Amino acid sequence: MDFFLGGLTRGLGLLINLDPEVYGIAWLSLRVSLSAVILAALAAVPLGLVIGQKEFLGKRFLVVVFNTLLALPTVVVGLVVYGLLSYHGPLGGMGILYTPWAMVAAQAVLAFPLITALVIAAVITLDNRVGPTALTLGATPMQAAWAVLKEARFAVLAALAAGFGRVITEVGAAIMVGGNIRHYTRTFTTAIALETSKGEFAQGMALGFFLLVVALAVNLASHQLQARWK
Amino acid sequence: MSQALFSLRGVVKRFDQREALNLERLDLEAGVITVVEGPNGAGKTTLLSILALITPPDQGRLFFDGQDLPNSGSQLTAWRRQITLVAQQAYLFDTSVEKNVAYGLRLRGLERAQREDRVGEALAQVGLAEFGPRRAKRLSGGEMQRVALARALVLRPRALLLDEPFANLDPASALVFERVLGELSGQGCTVVLVSHALEQAHRVAQRVVYLRGGRLAPDAGQGPSA
Ligand SMILES: Nc1ncnc2c1ncn2[C@@H]1O[C@H](COP(=O)(O)OP(=O)(O)O)[C@@H](O)[C@H]1O
Ligand SMILES: [Mg+2]
Repeated sequence: MDFFLGGLTRGLGLLINLDPEVYGIAWLSLRVSLSAVILAALAAVPLGLVIGQKEFLGKRFLVVVFNTLLALPTVVVGLVVYGLLSYHGPLGGMGILYTPWAMVAAQAVLAFPLITALVIAAVITLDNRVGPTALTLGATPMQAAWAVLKEARFAVLAALAAGFGRVITEVGAAIMVGGNIRHYTRTFTTAIALETSKGEFAQGMALGFFLLVVALAVNLASHQLQARWK
Repeated sequence: MSQALFSLRGVVKRFDQREALNLERLDLEAGVITVVEGPNGAGKTTLLSILALITPPDQGRLFFDGQDLPNSGSQLTAWRRQITLVAQQAYLFDTSVEKNVAYGLRLRGLERAQREDRVGEALAQVGLAEFGPRRAKRLSGGEMQRVALARALVLRPRALLLDEPFANLDPASALVFERVLGELSGQGCTVVLVSHALEQAHRVAQRVVYLRGGRLAPDAGQGPSA
């Protein structure tokens, strides 16, 4: 019991005392994960829309592929991105391994299939009259697609929230391509892993608590967005 | 006989090899209310969807206002903006009634003040003047169909396509549809109304076309039942 209570009180302490290192970690985690979700969504949302709406050969297979990719272990994604970004890898010239950008890349890869799969599901379950209705009222195909997205807004924003949840909580990829460098690539999860390995359980708990507070803030913000977008 | 707004030549539409529609020749005159009758599965909805430029035919040609229309492509939007369809159970967007009605005007880039005027007018026309701020999804079935009608009327289309407008309507809403159709016939709007044989449809029809098994029945093209 002390373990949890201690973590909780220390977590509150970190929040209140504005511990600069912890706030740095929080800020980095937030920036990296939000960037990754935005990057992934730029590709995943249009793709999910197209796959969900169009009828074509192999559609079911593609859906199965995306659903399977949800099971992708984060360390495998980390490994692949590491391979791509490492000095001798095909993208090694970019020189971004062990920078926050590498973590953004890995987390975007991780979020991409999840957001795509959830947007596909959102569009498939949506009333199929939305697109044609928009067209008969004079929408261009792009405007009709936007109407579909808007009608599915709750599910689409839930997809983005799920993507954010997946990436801000993952640790495997962030450690592998970020390196858990203090003041530079140390995120919530890599810090928790480190504290735990040092036996600093309460500090780990405190960070975990802080992470939840950040996630809560992000979800509240997205909820506000949802309420306004109609 | 006035000029045809729609002309179909050899239009065929199939679903999974089955022929849903096969129209050798059909002309729909401008400014006329045409009622298309036929039993369930006759191809009426398919015909409207082709006329609305939503479903491309598999074969044949469709002329609108004398122009041979392409099956797809970006120019189609400009044509589509002259035509609108009120579906049998129209889909209303999950927002307010006024935003539903204003949707097509926004797409056409109308200013806010102008939009509000025309939306107000259209809602009054269907007897829903006070309904603007209401949430569309919370309305009754008849009210929803009237909102869909207002959303079409507000566009002042050259052609208005109505799919079974009187099916499942409460009497008050049916009267609204009948009155609006009467008003439209004096305004040069071309109306194509689909229905299984119903008195109300006959009352407003200036021409009745019979569809059976996707084809025009032999007595097609006759004048109104009167
Ligand atoms: N999307 C579709 N997929 C498969 N068959 C369809 C589809 N739409 C219509 N059909 C078929 O085409 C025929 C004509 O349908 P429809 O135009 O809806 O008739 P109506 O409106 O006169 O009742 C029917 O046999 C129907 O089952
Ligand atoms: Mg029908």
